[in-house]
Amino acid sequence: MSNDVAVEARAACKVYGQGAGAVTALGGVSLVIRKGEFFTLLGPSGCGKTTLLKLIAGFESPSSGQILLDGQDITFDPPNTRPVNTVFQSYALFPHLTVAENIGFGLKMLGRPKAEVAETVTRMLALVRLEKMADRKPVQLSGGQQQRVALARALAPAPKVLLLDEPLSALDLKLRKEMQIELKRLQVETGITFIFVTHDQEEALTMSDRIGVMQAGHLLQVGDPRTIYTRPANRFVASFIGESNFLTGTLSGSDLTLDAGPRMPVERADNAPVSGHVTAAIRPEQIRISSDAGSGIAAKVLDTVYFGTDTHCVLALSDGTEITVRLQSPVSGDVGLQTGSQVTLTFEPGALIVLPEVA
Amino acid sequence: MSTPMDPKARAEVRRGWLLSAPALVLLAVGASGPLLIMLVYSFLEAGQYGNVEWVISFKAWFNVVMTRDIFDGTLGFADAHLTIFWRSAKLAFLTTVFCFVVGFPTAWFIATRTPSMRTALLFLITIPFWTNLLIRTFAINQIIRNEGFLNTGLLYLGIIKEPIVMLYTDFAVFIGMTYVYLPLMVLPLFAAIDRFDMRLLQAGYDLYASRWQLLRHVIVPVVKPGIISGSILVFIPALGAYVTPRILGGGRNMMIGNFIELQFGQGRNWPLGAALSVVLLVIVSVALIVYTRFATGGQDKSHG
Repeated sequence: MSNDVAVEARAACKVYGQGAGAVTALGGVSLVIRKGEFFTLLGPSGCGKTTLLKLIAGFESPSSGQILLDGQDITFDPPNTRPVNTVFQSYALFPHLTVAENIGFGLKMLGRPKAEVAETVTRMLALVRLEKMADRKPVQLSGGQQQRVALARALAPAPKVLLLDEPLSALDLKLRKEMQIELKRLQVETGITFIFVTHDQEEALTMSDRIGVMQAGHLLQVGDPRTIYTRPANRFVASFIGESNFLTGTLSGSDLTLDAGPRMPVERADNAPVSGHVTAAIRPEQIRISSDAGSGIAAKVLDTVYFGTDTHCVLALSDGTEITVRLQSPVSGDVGLQTGSQVTLTFEPGALIVLPEVA
Repeated sequence: MSTPMDPKARAEVRRGWLLSAPALVLLAVGASGPLLIMLVYSFLEAGQYGNVEWVISFKAWFNVVMTRDIFDGTLGFADAHLTIFWRSAKLAFLTTVFCFVVGFPTAWFIATRTPSMRTALLFLITIPFWTNLLIRTFAINQIIRNEGFLNTGLLYLGIIKEPIVMLYTDFAVFIGMTYVYLPLMVLPLFAAIDRFDMRLLQAGYDLYASRWQLLRHVIVPVVKPGIISGSILVFIPALGAYVTPRILGGGRNMMIGNFIELQFGQGRNWPLGAALSVVLLVIVSVALIVYTRFATGGQDKSHG
């Protein structure tokens, strides 16, 4: 067992209920999370990411499989014996305790000396910049401040792993952006392994060292944000993280003959078919539009939608496939594409990726 | 408030007082009227056949703590009165504690059921209120007397050889009062636990708290308002209980309520009865103040 593994799940399976009414929340997930990394579990609601988090925290035990922490089997250890702390979606701050007492709670339960608790609480208050709020009760704090107390409370006992269950979902957009930066800063400063659960792909991309994309109780792809974005493992990942256009065609070698006509160079994702009729994905911002007819894919402009910094252009290929292209809005705000006009689409080699067939 | 109010605002205030006048009068007469009468009576002479003589006297108050020997006229400490006060306070306290010990798990159980189940269980809790207190107390009497269900059953099973004497003891009064006042503890506790955010348990469990620590450091402090109101609702009526000690305690194990009744009845000493009532009121008030100070003060101290 390698030394840099913080948490490992081995074929972790969780089934709720029995017989015909049984629901599989987690269908045998195996995953290795390294020490000191910011790992994000990303997926739509009900994909099993929170269930996996509960298995690591100890609130649930798996129907089968194992959970290891630092190489030790903790599958059936109760939460209060695991050196793992959680930041809850609802914060779950103790209403009868002050901010300082909330932060010191874990250490107090561990029976640490008062001086040590006080010292750690002071350090944590400084870390989350709430020194002046030490004697306030949670109800007297704003949502963002409560969030920081929840973070400090979970970090105070210096856990081996910090679990974060969609902690930013209750905050408004501006605060959420601030907290994303704050979280990343805390993770770097403390060096603690963070496992962050979210359904927000932007959050996942901006903060994580690595992302695990989940759907329907399965782990689809694990990788760093760039790999996940530029080399999605399948159609679900390609459309859940960012937007994608899907083109169909016949693959031969490294060339794809599109159903819409031209022959284009492609890259292949892992496990993608080597030949035959396939689906390929391309990001909206990777496509260029030129008005002169040259080598590229011929398309007709259907609509342009102005988004401020971007303008989205919807086009139709000769076989009827709809394509969205994202253009940076020019100074005038008008990209100069008339609805109904004929254009040519081009892109750099490597932008079009052949995806594995959906099982 | 040095600036004088303009006439319009003043009329507004006057109308507010006028509108609440009926309720205020009712409250003043209903709440303080009887208390005032008791206070006045306690400073009067006892009449020959009950009632009072309108002569100012401190005899009743003197008699609360001191007694004159009927044979040689020497003064002595009225230890019988103190015994009664002590027994009342002790039994009321034990009843409150035991009601909490039994009521807390009950309230917790009810609060953690499904909504329909909860309604049914709360309904069951209120059922005893449908019957007269006297009848319920006699039912307890039937259970614990020497030939009662409990002793007969235990004798039949061979667990005991002779019936256990329970009726007409302090224990009987304690059991009876616990039974009678338990719902008054369960209902406010339920209300408090119902509002308790169960996610706090998960948070505490995650932060290394054992089950016992969760109870002590999370559950009890958060539901404290319910514990306080439940305890008050049990302790006050238990302290002045009359029916239960009368039926289950017999004549010897009197509580303050019975003793006061005695002064107004057979004792024909209304001023003493009135003075004892005032003492009871003072005990309750002091107990309440001390208790609420203690209960909320512990929280304030921890603010550090």
